[in-house]
Amino acid sequence: MSRIGVFVCHCGENISATVNCEKVAKITGELKGVEFSTDYKYMCSYPGQTLIKEAIKEHKLDGVVVAACSPRMHEPTFRKACAEAGLNPFLCEMSNIREHCSWVHPKDDLTTEKAQDLVRVMVEKVKKNKALNSIKVPVTKTALVIGGGIAGIQAALDIANCGHKVIMVERQPSIGGHMSQLSETFPTLDCSQCILTPRMVEVAQHPNITLHTYSEVESVDGFIGNFKVKIRKRSKSIDEHLCTGCGLCTTKCPQKKIPNEFERGLGFRPAIYVPFPQAVPNKPVIDREHCTYYIKGKCKICEIVCPTKAIRFDQEDEVIDVAVGAIVMATGFDVLKTDYFPEYGYGKYADVIDGLAFERLASASGPTQGEIRRPSDGKIPKKIVFVACAGSRDPAKGIEYCSKICCMYTAKHAMLYKHKVHDGIPYVFYMDIRAGGKNYEEFVRRTIVEDETQYIRGRVSTIYEKNGKLIVKGADTLMGAQPVEIEADMVVLATAGVANHGAEELAQTVHISYDPYKFFAEAHPKLKPVETNTAGIFLAGACQAPKDIPESVAAASGAAVKVAALFSNDELTRDPLVAVVNRSAPPVYSQCVGCFLCQSVCPYQAIEREEIKNRNGEVIKTLARVNEGLCQGCGTCVALCRTKAIDIHGYSNQQVYTEIMALLND
Amino acid sequence: MQEFEPKIVAFVCNWCTYAGADLTGTSRIKYSANVKIIRFPCTGRIDFMILMKAFENGADGIIVSGCHPNDCHYSTGNFHARRRWIVFRNLLNFSGIDTERIQFSWVSAAEGFKWADVVNNTVKKIREIGPYENYNKIAVSTLFKEEGATNE
Amino acid sequence: MSDLIKKVTALLNDKTINAFIGYEKGSADRIRATFIRNEDQAQKLILNASCTQNLAGYLLKHEVKKLGKLGILANVAALRSIMQLASEFQIKDGEVYVLFANADGSLTEFTDFKSIEAFLETTDTGIKSEEQEMIAKLEAMTVNERWLFWNKEFEKCIKCYACRAACPMCYCHRCTTDVNQPQWIPVASHELGNLDYHLMRAMHLAGRCVNCGECATACPMDIPLNLLTYQLISPIKATFGATAGMKADAVYALSTYKPDDKENFII
Repeated sequence: MSRIGVFVCHCGENISATVNCEKVAKITGELKGVEFSTDYKYMCSYPGQTLIKEAIKEHKLDGVVVAACSPRMHEPTFRKACAEAGLNPFLCEMSNIREHCSWVHPKDDLTTEKAQDLVRVMVEKVKKNKALNSIKVPVTKTALVIGGGIAGIQAALDIANCGHKVIMVERQPSIGGHMSQLSETFPTLDCSQCILTPRMVEVAQHPNITLHTYSEVESVDGFIGNFKVKIRKRSKSIDEHLCTGCGLCTTKCPQKKIPNEFERGLGFRPAIYVPFPQAVPNKPVIDREHCTYYIKGKCKICEIVCPTKAIRFDQEDEVIDVAVGAIVMATGFDVLKTDYFPEYGYGKYADVIDGLAFERLASASGPTQGEIRRPSDGKIPKKIVFVACAGSRDPAKGIEYCSKICCMYTAKHAMLYKHKVHDGIPYVFYMDIRAGGKNYEEFVRRTIVEDETQYIRGRVSTIYEKNGKLIVKGADTLMGAQPVEIEADMVVLATAGVANHGAEELAQTVHISYDPYKFFAEAHPKLKPVETNTAGIFLAGACQAPKDIPESVAAASGAAVKVAALFSNDELTRDPLVAVVNRSAPPVYSQCVGCFLCQSVCPYQAIEREEIKNRNGEVIKTLARVNEGLCQGCGTCVALCRTKAIDIHGYSNQQVYTEIMALLND
Repeated sequence: MQEFEPKIVAFVCNWCTYAGADLTGTSRIKYSANVKIIRFPCTGRIDFMILMKAFENGADGIIVSGCHPNDCHYSTGNFHARRRWIVFRNLLNFSGIDTERIQFSWVSAAEGFKWADVVNNTVKKIREIGPYENYNKIAVSTLFKEEGATNE
Repeated sequence: MSDLIKKVTALLNDKTINAFIGYEKGSADRIRATFIRNEDQAQKLILNASCTQNLAGYLLKHEVKKLGKLGILANVAALRSIMQLASEFQIKDGEVYVLFANADGSLTEFTDFKSIEAFLETTDTGIKSEEQEMIAKLEAMTVNERWLFWNKEFEKCIKCYACRAACPMCYCHRCTTDVNQPQWIPVASHELGNLDYHLMRAMHLAGRCVNCGECATACPMDIPLNLLTYQLISPIKATFGATAGMKADAVYALSTYKPDDKENFII
């Protein structure tokens, strides 16, 4: 026989104005199994909670129903109060007689009756509740950071400086990401390399950080605190321990005409190469796709010249297993590909380039040593047209969002151009100037006023070549859509920032969700911006949406704090409201028949296979098992199970069945 | 004669519709007291048999509601629920069970007004259709035969 | 001696299988399933136009399983049952030796799932036209008429569970009907208990039924139970593109989804 306490709250007058709380307490007090019932003005107040605690002790209650506001509001409050009085918190339930009753119905008998019904449902449910204990999960205090751009670097350094181990995986031969390609940064015109490279070096030298470049994450298993990750270290064809990074091989390689990705194809690199002079690690890799030896079977000049004999042509990919407790996704973004702009002649005309290529032209370490020279003939362009929103905010191009960074970097480009070519004229075609950010608007103003950049509000319709000039046709919407035609020497397209290539596959590998544009999805757009829906996996930087450097860094530090908080305990405590597969004595072992139809409904890959073996080690039955570290308690598997072998704590079959019975049979 | 007061049960998910119904309350939007809510973690948890149990215990109408597609707290629970309802509705219809009496809806945590509309429209509709006599007949008669044995 | 007896004898003798599930003559004019374990017993095997039962249902029965490695005489429904059971991890590839009886009485061997899949791809697996007509007739009724129809049918049910025993997909150790905490399905065979049981069973077979019709054949009260599950086959195929029992690695229609699954009733 149960000993349940019913506590009806007036919530000041919020409930009692329409519900006769005394009556609810009195009537429900007569229900079978209810030992004690009372009503009180403010149940959540200190005296209210004390009342509950004392009643638990005095009446030896084994279940508590608080009829008050929404459980989404105060369930934790009352469960905590129960726990303090020595009652298992999961033996406390709430009836929502405020949001779902007193506030939505008029003052009459029906409303009071409904409140009674709602209390009765919970009284019956509580009878079926079980005392549950929080689940403890051990935490591996090592973080995996995927991506070595500025976001990944920041996150890794922050976590490492908290005293935790970090494993960083970078797909390219060097860390640095897009930021290493930039010339100067808005709105201060800091040299990008100057502020970034010390951080890169810090990563390489940090005792808590292990760096894997030229590597990719191959699989992720496990759950928060306990991920098992396979990392594929692609073969660099060199022995990194022997290589001193002298660079002799890169100067002697006969393959010299490979378009340099780092320079956006504006320069060339050999087949054995270091992507850029400040690369970390500053050791070369062999690009097997272009290497003469791998293509023709002979050459090996690098091997001959290498003073430390570090070249390894037969080196194979290595797959390593690591155990981590948290993962930070910092895989960054990409810019829209060339084939999106046939009307702008991108890819057809050498002098139509994208913003990243312009960064390389403006960079002191770039292919022109910082002089703005057009790619086709190396002449200094006297008129440059910058096209903002090349792809962004254009549903026809499939990108409805604003790429956010282009307004600012376009202003920066115009400014840099003007600083370098004093008699040059920069034009900017734009839709709106979005300069929200500290000192951003002032920066754009300077570009317009001091650097005399011609801002034209309108879209460019077409670009074609005529007599060595690029004819840019557009409209000026501020002048009544008057057609504009500019004879430019060079055009720079501020191409949309898009999800990095391979983002979708990676999201599937690590089991996180992504939006229709393949950017990784945050758990909550406002309150959980750096968390993902998968516990223990966090987001940093532009893999989530286009972000500028300060935003990426801020997000990375945010993600790092989340990781540090996770690592601040040796064990994780989780709500025990998870699914379980029943177990019974041999020869049945479980009602589960091992059809595993539940496996694919689980959004968290929490359903595992468990083999029951006999004494000889032979498998006699294969059953489903719920990994309680992974299960988030949605219960989709429970509803699917034909044998009712899976049940879920807190919303068990018994509980929901009882609730319906109690609700409909008064 | 007294107006028919339908009994309606709502099975809703915790994260969207339950929170949406909370918002209806917070916004003091009025709706009919005929509807009583049972909370589930997710629409994916709602077993089809729960709907059958509601009818046979005297519900005249049922509301099943959860997060809009793509908004599921558990990312895919509502997608699985949707498939289940597509098939189950088909089966109910073929078995002669009035699917008009089951209202499926997506109500987000921000849709306090929508929740009130869903409730009020369902109550109105069920009031027009009348008590679920077909089901009541077998439910009442069998309960009588079993003398309350179905209740465990 | 028939080809079948020769073949089965050889299989038993060279220990390819330990037991073979086939047909033998039953009492009166009936045909029944038989479980052949040696050469002598093999002489009982028959194969004629009356041998239509889907024998795959026996594959998972405890008493049959313990006989060792099994061979089975299969019809199309049995092949599909094997595929569906494979997709539910109940039968492993190569575990069952399958002899398929062609229309002309000749036998085709299937030793792996791939060959069964290939065979099924070019085989008519649909439901019979008279069943299709019956479904159409029911669909043309009003909801209330259908209610009355099924009410009358279910009234006959004596809850003998022969349908469940005959169904190759009803292999659960514990059926929902047997669960009593809570008692989802009323035990008694009254209108409610019968309705609950049959709807539950139909829903559990939705997307899994291979339309062998054993449930209706087994029913001693002649309830057209198969229509309940058959009726769901075409909407499941049309809406989700899924058909049960065609592939060994198929995904169950109700344990997957598409973000853009179409419906017209959720507001």
